[in-house]
Amino acid sequence: MQTLEFILGGFQSVFQIAAFLTVVIGLLVGVIAGALPGISFVNAMAMALPFTYTMDVTHAMLFLGGIYVGGVFGGSISAIMINVPGTPASLPATWDGYAMTKKGQVKRALTIAVTASAIGGLISALMLTFLSAPFASFAMKFSQPEFFAATVLGLVSVIAIAKDKPVITMISLLVGMAIGTVGVDPLFGQARFSFGVPEIESGIRFVVVMIGLFAIGEVIDLVATDRDLRPKKTEGKAVGASFRDILDVKGAILRGSGLGCIIGIIPGAGATPGAVISYGVEKQVNPRGAEFGTGVEGGLAAPEAAKNATTGAAMIPLLTLGIPGSAATAIMLAAMMLQGVNPGPLLFVMDPSMVYTIFAAMIIANILMIGAGVGVAQIFSFLMRTPPAILAGFIVILSLIGAYGVRNNIFDVYVCLVFGVIGWVMKRVGFPSAPLVLGVILGPLAERYFLTSIANSHQDYTVFFSRPISGSILFIAALFVLWSLWPSVRARIGRRSAAS
Amino acid sequence: MTDSYADGAPERDSQSNTSENQQDEGIVVRLIPVLVPALLLLASLILPGFMFHAGQRGSLPGLGPAAWPGAVLAALAVFSAIWLAIEIWGFARSRKSASLSAPHDEDVYHYGKAIIGIVLVIAFGWLLPVLGFPLATMLFLFIWCLYGGLRNPLVLLLVPGIGTVALLWVFMGLALMPLSRGMGAFEGFTIALLQLIGIY
Amino acid sequence: MTLYHSLKTVLAGAVTAGLITPAAMAQDYPQRPIQMVVAFGPGGGTDIMGRQIGKMLEAELGVSIPASNVAGASGNAGLTQMRTDPADGYTIGTLISLTVASWAAGLGDSKPEDFHVLSVVQNSPSFLFVAANSPYQTAEDLFAYAKANPGELTVATSGYGTQDDVTLKLLARDGIQMENVPFQAPGERYASPIGGHTAVLYEEPGDIAQFIEAGQLKPIVAFSAERHPAFPDVPTATELGHDISGLDNFRAIAVRAGTDPAIVEKLEAALGNVLASEEWQNFCTETYSCIEPVTGDAAQSMVTDFLQLITEQLES
Repeated sequence: MQTLEFILGGFQSVFQIAAFLTVVIGLLVGVIAGALPGISFVNAMAMALPFTYTMDVTHAMLFLGGIYVGGVFGGSISAIMINVPGTPASLPATWDGYAMTKKGQVKRALTIAVTASAIGGLISALMLTFLSAPFASFAMKFSQPEFFAATVLGLVSVIAIAKDKPVITMISLLVGMAIGTVGVDPLFGQARFSFGVPEIESGIRFVVVMIGLFAIGEVIDLVATDRDLRPKKTEGKAVGASFRDILDVKGAILRGSGLGCIIGIIPGAGATPGAVISYGVEKQVNPRGAEFGTGVEGGLAAPEAAKNATTGAAMIPLLTLGIPGSAATAIMLAAMMLQGVNPGPLLFVMDPSMVYTIFAAMIIANILMIGAGVGVAQIFSFLMRTPPAILAGFIVILSLIGAYGVRNNIFDVYVCLVFGVIGWVMKRVGFPSAPLVLGVILGPLAERYFLTSIANSHQDYTVFFSRPISGSILFIAALFVLWSLWPSVRARIGRRSAAS
Repeated sequence: MTDSYADGAPERDSQSNTSENQQDEGIVVRLIPVLVPALLLLASLILPGFMFHAGQRGSLPGLGPAAWPGAVLAALAVFSAIWLAIEIWGFARSRKSASLSAPHDEDVYHYGKAIIGIVLVIAFGWLLPVLGFPLATMLFLFIWCLYGGLRNPLVLLLVPGIGTVALLWVFMGLALMPLSRGMGAFEGFTIALLQLIGIY
Repeated sequence: MTLYHSLKTVLAGAVTAGLITPAAMAQDYPQRPIQMVVAFGPGGGTDIMGRQIGKMLEAELGVSIPASNVAGASGNAGLTQMRTDPADGYTIGTLISLTVASWAAGLGDSKPEDFHVLSVVQNSPSFLFVAANSPYQTAEDLFAYAKANPGELTVATSGYGTQDDVTLKLLARDGIQMENVPFQAPGERYASPIGGHTAVLYEEPGDIAQFIEAGQLKPIVAFSAERHPAFPDVPTATELGHDISGLDNFRAIAVRAGTDPAIVEKLEAALGNVLASEEWQNFCTETYSCIEPVTGDAAQSMVTDFLQLITEQLES
């Protein structure tokens, strides 16, 4: 049990005061930044990168790891409290989490969310510690066709989430995918839909679209409806979640964690597809699936667990292979390389104490996150006491800073404003906007996985079905569609036969 | 126009006998759910022609850069057509949208206030690169507080002032973000302000 | 400082901003943080270079030089920012061969004349790499197989219409036909040959140093005029009878054209000190990208010559 020995050493290093403080500060920075509308954990990690210059590499990784873990959760605080997802991965938290808030159960929703996130994160940190080698070699079997199939599963989940209007959901998703094609294409280096404007060649980033659709639209609603964000009087201490509540959703948490662990390994996917697929699956599996969207605990717990379960999993390819699969892990790679450390297979051999300190820190961070999450949520509910007008003003400013900060480009601010107006209109007429955001995220991934797969197989289109793993994933995706659409088809048939 | 739609007016209109004039308005409102899919269908059919500004370059291997967006737009065209058909079917039968429904959870919705809010937000974004982040933010917060119904002079002074300095400290001082400094004389103002509060 | 004085300072700053003479500005330069525009996202080779240079320049110039990632359109979004910010020396940025090649492909609206190249700081030829367990362990084996089975071998590259594509086209002209398989995400590109999904990888060694050190990827041929000092056993394409060179990957630091010559001089001197330092030498050795610093007109013409070469190759 060499691993056990190493991980104990890792715990010893983390519990040294400097290291421990680094993790805690990182965690708090992550939760707060994530909870601010507009500022995503990727933003926060990029902003934190210069601070790691002066740290040694282990502390740098503990700091960024803390921000990563905290930030992926933090987005759910604003999603649950004010219906504005702090990061795209928290989109599903607005569906059942905010619905619980509207029912006056904000504390309960937050407790369930933070616990589910922590358990998901913890499971994936343990997987990172004890199973990274087998998972890394498993991940190497995956190639572009498998990534494409997984992305298709993500797209299919979006349809499965829709309650009763698959056509409109599909249109929203397709509009998002079309928006995702704007800018330089991934393989040929040619600008599409630029209309001769050089700025458009940079393309449209999904975070910018999300901020526009959700934050700006929500702010306008906030000031136009005299809504009171102050915690309702009916809500006493008793409304918080009990241990019993967590036990009730343990199935959802475990399913979400499992899905998140697997999806997190896939490069490019990350927390958002993890959360969405898990919500879609949970909606089908959960006995209360039909009520999802009205504030069901399982519908909140599953995606929360899944998105944090991607954090540890995403670090497996980074630490074992030196391959960053996502923007967050790419920043970690940069931090290591700026310290002259090249992650990769040799890292485990050359510096196991560092690797296991990082593992131990990921485990600790997820446990501490419950405290950090509850604490920051307290601060936020205190902030809710400020007049809605002031709150709304700051949300607008933070949103535009966040849109700008994605690429430090003023063009993204304009794009955000355009989508702000569109989002408000969509909201008013009841056109679903979440599928659009997911289309902008998943569309470009699907495109490049598809085209690279085809190029790598000498233009053979059967490659997606002939490869066992991708074939199986696509088969599951097909079943998923039929399974989720069946109830509405059956209802229609039933109605018709009843009418005749 | 959208106002009455969101309030569920179409249903009310179709039940009660209102004056000629109001009925016309009702028809326009009812046509919106038909117009949206029609416009989407039109866009998805036209857009492929505008994919490349300067024309596609040379002969390319494989599917080329037009294949994916072409396929997405074709699918969008198909689904828009289906939606259009559903809406026309619904319009002919019951004169109300078959698929869209406005949120019903709010009791009051001030459309005028919402529009002013949108204009303010857009003006803020537009002025950001001109005035620079600090000045634009201060101005925006001040006007936004007025718009939000706050009249206390102390609040109107402190919220924009302290708020802007705090945001500057966090994002330009701590996070080292290159937020806009503005153009011309405004840039000089921003730089002087940043030097004053110790960020530069 | 009292409130009155503070206000006076701010107002004075606002009033004098338009009046300060260029000479006075150059003399006091730099007085405030300089923005380092990195034209690619965090974590890539250009980002790490920009941050490293920024970090080391801070010590030389005495102001902070934070990196800001302005990614998009193959680096052209960052260049637009460098080109439109005032030419006061407070915005510097990265200009790399990949972006220059994208101009030839019709992206962006920047021209070499829009920038003053301070110094080319990194340069590295590209290589073909194979996995450790690949059936082709030498370039001769690989080329022989490719000749016998045209188009069967796959090469992981960064895209069509890039230096990678040009190199493969030149090889095909000599009868060595291999399939170009573009991977947009660098991580996926490197993992593909290691996982056995593509036969060959086209890349510069600096970006995959960890895989070379671990022995997972092995260089088999260099596309340069001379052998790379770090890989003395790896033959060049020229030695094997394929005259392919001049498509090196360079990374430069530039400012907007029209920047005060006095400021340019200060920056060039500071950069010169950075590049001569031991820390930089260690950095560039690790990334296999050391060059004798190229400055002034030579740097400028390096960019224009490269653009011309790629344009010719893409048109042919």
